[in-house]
Amino acid sequence: MTATEAVPAAVSGPRDEAPAKRLALTGAQRGVWFAQAIDPANPVFNTGEYLELRGALDPAALVAAAQRAVVEADALHVRFAEDGSGVPWQHRVLPEAGEMPVIDVSAEADPRQAAEDAMRRDLWRPLDLSTDAMFANALFRLGPDHWAWYHRFHHIVIDYFGMSLLSRRAAELYSALVADAAPAASRFRPLEELVAEDEAYAASARHTDDRAYWTRRLAGRPAQVGLALGSAPTSHRFTRSVAELPPGLLERLEAAAARLGTVWPQLVAAAAGVLVSRVTGCSDVVLGWPVMGRMGSVAMRVPAMVVNVPPLRLTVDDGQPLSALLAHVAAESREVARHGRYRYEDLSRDLGVVPGGPRLFGPQVNVMPFEPDLRFAGIAAVAHNLSAGPVDDLTFNVYLRGRHEGLQLEVDANPALYSPEAVRAHQRRLVHLLAALADADPDTLVGDLDALPPDERDLVVRGWNDTARPVPATTLPELFAAQAARTPTALALVPDGGRALTYVELDERASRLATVLRAHGAGPGRVVAVALDRSVDLVVSLYAAHKAGAAYLPLDPDHPADRLAFMLEDAAPVCVVCDEATAGRLPAGMATVRADDAAAKPSEDAAGSPAGPDDPAYVIYTSGSTGRPKGVVVPHRGIVNRLLWMQDAYRLGPDDRVVQKTPAGFDVSVWEFFWPLLAGATLVLARPGGHRDPAYLADLFVRARVTTAHFVPSMLQAFLDEPSAAATCGSLRRVVCSGEALPEAAVRRFHTTLPGVELHNLYGPTEASVDVTAWACRPEAPAGPVPIGRPVWNTRTYVLDQRGRPVPVGAVGELYLAGVQVADGYLNRPDLTAERFLPDPFVPGERMYRTGDLARWRFDGALDYLGRNDDQVKIRGQRIELGEIESVLQAHPCVSAAAVVAREDRPGDRYLAAYVVPAGDVDVPELRKHLARSLPDAMVPSAFVTLDALPVTVNGKLDRKALPQPVRDQSNGADVPRTPMQEILCGLFADVLGLERVGPDDGFFELGGHSLLAAQLAARVRAVLGRDVPLGSVFAAPTPRGLAQLVEQGRDGDALAGLLPLRSGGSAPALFCIHPAGGLGWCYAGLLQEVPREHPVYAVQARGLDGREALPGSLQEMAADYVRQIQAVQPTGPYHLLGWSVGGVIAHETAVRLQQAGEQVGVLALLDAYPSEQWASLPPPDESDALTALLLMAGLDPATAPLPQPLRREDVIAHLRANGSAVGGLDASTLAAVVGVVANNAALMRAHRHSGFAGDALFVAATQPVARPLFAVPDGTLDRDGWASHISGELQLMELACTHPELVRPDVLRAIASVVARRLSQAPQLLPPRSDR
Amino acid sequence: MTDRTDSTGTQPLRTDALRADVADILGVSPAEIGDDDDLVDAGLDSVRLLALLNRWQVAGTSVSFLDLAERPTVAAWAGLLAPAGE
Repeated sequence: MTATEAVPAAVSGPRDEAPAKRLALTGAQRGVWFAQAIDPANPVFNTGEYLELRGALDPAALVAAAQRAVVEADALHVRFAEDGSGVPWQHRVLPEAGEMPVIDVSAEADPRQAAEDAMRRDLWRPLDLSTDAMFANALFRLGPDHWAWYHRFHHIVIDYFGMSLLSRRAAELYSALVADAAPAASRFRPLEELVAEDEAYAASARHTDDRAYWTRRLAGRPAQVGLALGSAPTSHRFTRSVAELPPGLLERLEAAAARLGTVWPQLVAAAAGVLVSRVTGCSDVVLGWPVMGRMGSVAMRVPAMVVNVPPLRLTVDDGQPLSALLAHVAAESREVARHGRYRYEDLSRDLGVVPGGPRLFGPQVNVMPFEPDLRFAGIAAVAHNLSAGPVDDLTFNVYLRGRHEGLQLEVDANPALYSPEAVRAHQRRLVHLLAALADADPDTLVGDLDALPPDERDLVVRGWNDTARPVPATTLPELFAAQAARTPTALALVPDGGRALTYVELDERASRLATVLRAHGAGPGRVVAVALDRSVDLVVSLYAAHKAGAAYLPLDPDHPADRLAFMLEDAAPVCVVCDEATAGRLPAGMATVRADDAAAKPSEDAAGSPAGPDDPAYVIYTSGSTGRPKGVVVPHRGIVNRLLWMQDAYRLGPDDRVVQKTPAGFDVSVWEFFWPLLAGATLVLARPGGHRDPAYLADLFVRARVTTAHFVPSMLQAFLDEPSAAATCGSLRRVVCSGEALPEAAVRRFHTTLPGVELHNLYGPTEASVDVTAWACRPEAPAGPVPIGRPVWNTRTYVLDQRGRPVPVGAVGELYLAGVQVADGYLNRPDLTAERFLPDPFVPGERMYRTGDLARWRFDGALDYLGRNDDQVKIRGQRIELGEIESVLQAHPCVSAAAVVAREDRPGDRYLAAYVVPAGDVDVPELRKHLARSLPDAMVPSAFVTLDALPVTVNGKLDRKALPQPVRDQSNGADVPRTPMQEILCGLFADVLGLERVGPDDGFFELGGHSLLAAQLAARVRAVLGRDVPLGSVFAAPTPRGLAQLVEQGRDGDALAGLLPLRSGGSAPALFCIHPAGGLGWCYAGLLQEVPREHPVYAVQARGLDGREALPGSLQEMAADYVRQIQAVQPTGPYHLLGWSVGGVIAHETAVRLQQAGEQVGVLALLDAYPSEQWASLPPPDESDALTALLLMAGLDPATAPLPQPLRREDVIAHLRANGSAVGGLDASTLAAVVGVVANNAALMRAHRHSGFAGDALFVAATQPVARPLFAVPDGTLDRDGWASHISGELQLMELACTHPELVRPDVLRAIASVVARRLSQAPQLLPPRSDR
Repeated sequence: MTDRTDSTGTQPLRTDALRADVADILGVSPAEIGDDDDLVDAGLDSVRLLALLNRWQVAGTSVSFLDLAERPTVAAWAGLLAPAGE
């Protein structure tokens, strides 16, 4: 007998078991099941590998062995399903070996590649867990005596160790087959034993202890655990980078481990811990540390999914010796082993890990050393992993595949978080750290381990900072003088609405004023203050100060007198240039010069030495955290470098016109004032205050043919919102942005609105001569945050960690600036200067400025800006130290403590909020006045909140997150549902989460939802709405509003539609619910829960709710219209109708008309509705009655609503919103339409004459009287017995102890629905279309 | 407890020597490990078990990872590591 002939007998494995028995999932399987259910089309849960075999293989024997091993592995032969409540289960199917094709690819040019391509095609096909086989096998012939056995499994049935059990068994079987020997009996154990063991664990005290251990161990876990910021859903693929580690590394690691008293895999954990701490800048690190989970368990013999990934939380303390770190890793990993059976999915739920929030752990460190020689009858097999399952973040897989192979490091990463460069970089860093650990001695300080490989360090310190460029040693006045000499008659200054000046005119006026200034003592190293609004005089004064050799100090005349006085005292200018308007705002006793006076004086020769490149060019004050502003002193050398770089980069020509619109106290104005006039271009002056007015600016740009403008990004967005902005692209050539982060969306809008105009994003603090980095924003740029770019000429940018070490590319650190643009420091503040201007550790003798800004290098050498590391904020581009506002607040006698924060509770709405602990009676207007006395307007908070005490964190620091949101105007109605679908979903969210109310924008996971509850929610939505909602939708759109959009996709989601499908789909006849007087049918949503799913439910709504459609002229006309609409969605009967109040009357008429048309009517339900003749004598409703109808439609009782009578619209709307009703979300025009609809319906009803309905009707009576009769109905007027003359059959009565308005309360509707449901079930099913009858 | 010598006549593997190896790999004192203690509770994981196995294989013992992992106690291992025939 040959080996292959043994196959059939072997394959016919244990087929006698009952296949359909339901089994619970193990915790491990449940984890995979949920992850797959979130995204059923994701193939990443397919795991696979191939074993490469070189030798005289018997392919038939291998196929036989592989198939038999698969049949023996009981746990592979299952399918999965879920019951209605979202709980999954599995059931057995007959063990089948499945096809195992033998595919010869040896003729291909690259047989291995061809085989791998075929394998990957198979691997990336998503499986259906309810129907598909969970595994596949194939054997590829790569060449003579060269084979690859491929197998693929869904991760829900196997893990890496399980796969190795299978391969090992196949090898055993193969060896027996080819030796013609009887194979040893299988030692695999059945799935049931694993499930039973898992259930026993779940019920054990051990499980409780493990949970307690983990919740304790992970208390206060860090927000950032990954090597990349943020998180992303499980992607469909992963990025893999493979590296062979240096030869001999394993031996070195083993030796080091022996030296350090540990085992080498723990060195890998330590290296990863160091890497993560360097990247996150945080010593608190949480790795994923996969554990086999089989030790001492039956799982050791079950090829199944068992592996768990518990967190390994480490403290990587830079000050400790390596030996201490390794002892810590050893101790922690022992705890992980002890408590490692507790599923990380359960732990995530315990800890409230939500999608998009802080994750449980960062990179996984997966060391797989167990694969000693696997041999198929003497033929060695080498495993090649193709997919190890989903990668949420990044996984370091370290394989040891036999000693002669050495170590292999495969890095798998989620491509949504990591670029291929990032993956390779992390791989190189880990290898670098491993080598460093292998060679380190136990006393080496952890902080001295270098995470940066030498080439990366060189790149970030030198390569990307290689910006040296010769720049002449000159000053701004010299550059202007040279330009004025070149183009004396060119236009220099064009004020909006004033006389333009040529270069020579400006030069002469500035020279004349300079003479006056010199007479006041202006000269190099001295300061001239300028307190002028934007004007020709302002420009002349700045140039004059420079001509006199002095630095200028801009003073904003609008600033509070206190602040101006402080600056004048601090900077001690020789004089202040002012005009009639501004002179009065200056403190008394200052030497003042009138800019206009000087114009009249003849120029006289007043010798004085000019400024040199190292002399100050300007002093600009910025907000200071200690309560007073600080003056930054910038020398000519720095600003000259900045302007010459700018001219080289953007090339202004003689026909360019640059707008000056930035206030002079903001350093962006420096380039506006001086760049155009050293390049022969023209400066256009916007009128004072004009910089805040987008329409004015657009008009100015067009009129003055402006080519170049600066915008703070928030102002750019306002400008782009201005309809006339698009017209400016006729002249505009470039826009420069700086001052705050430039949103990607703004860039996209810019390019759409102003096609062909360049957009540049610049970055820099006042302390480094305006801007130090630049980035050209191109329309074709890939999606992602807008970088701040690369350093300009003669400038170095360093991104350093807290110990001053360069951080890895991609990691966040603090930005430091060095080079020629670094300012001299702060005027009169040597302490502050020493704190922020430090020695450059990379270039001896140079200084660097510590920005307090957070940044990271991109892999292309550009920088991303990521906010502040302190309390400095920017409001509309203005730099504000919160501490400065706080100290002014605290100086008020009625304030005992204060905190100020910048809030952005609604996107784009950034404002300052002050929190005050009073020391007496606090008067907010008085506090405002107090602040306004010393702070500019932009620094006066717009919201004030008084608190008993400021919230603090456990460390005693102000807990900013715990500060309450100030109550501000909330008039946009964003917090109430706006459609019935939203209202239904809000209700379902609340039910599932056990909350009283959920708003349409509340996030499911923020409210305590987790994956199990999400599955329940999806099941409820399916049950109630009859629409298939994949679990993934809950994750993709976790708010009622978002989910409503997804659910309504592909159909008319118009909530005002005539026929509103509350639930479409379903094979049984629909229930049509006719609107009450107000015309909307949303109130019927509460019926859905009890009306069986197979019945669609439609609300029939009035015409004219859009305010345009004509209103019907009679109730007959209305009913005929409804019959047409109803028959359009359901061509044949029986028809089921229901109506509340006026809706009952219309339902009756609709039923009559359907019968007249020969159709069958099943259920006719009249909810507290009374025949029309009983209304005839009642007065028509007024607006207050219409509003009553509105309240009724929302299920609210107008009699008990705390509203003044007669009702007013705004009160009613506020009341609706306060009660979470979608009706409160209606806009004003719809409300007006509703009032019209009510009036019309009231009139039509009074004029209506009933016809007879043949059959029974259900009457639902509300037996409780209302406190105030509705529509002023006299007692006894309304009598249900009046229906007797309009109904041939029986009026069946259902009495409910509630009021008329309460009939549409969800719980009451549910009771009604259950009675209606019974009648629906007795009614005939859909009749065939009439033509077939 | 009896002394055992393996059949190749190399280093004898006594239960207390075995315990000492286990304690060493876990970084705890041998006194903390009882014969029947579940070594998972003592912090044993697959990488440490592999290191142990490696150590013992170098010393000439042939026992499989699966066998050790299935019953992780000193007592069970002493049985497994006992030479055939004893």
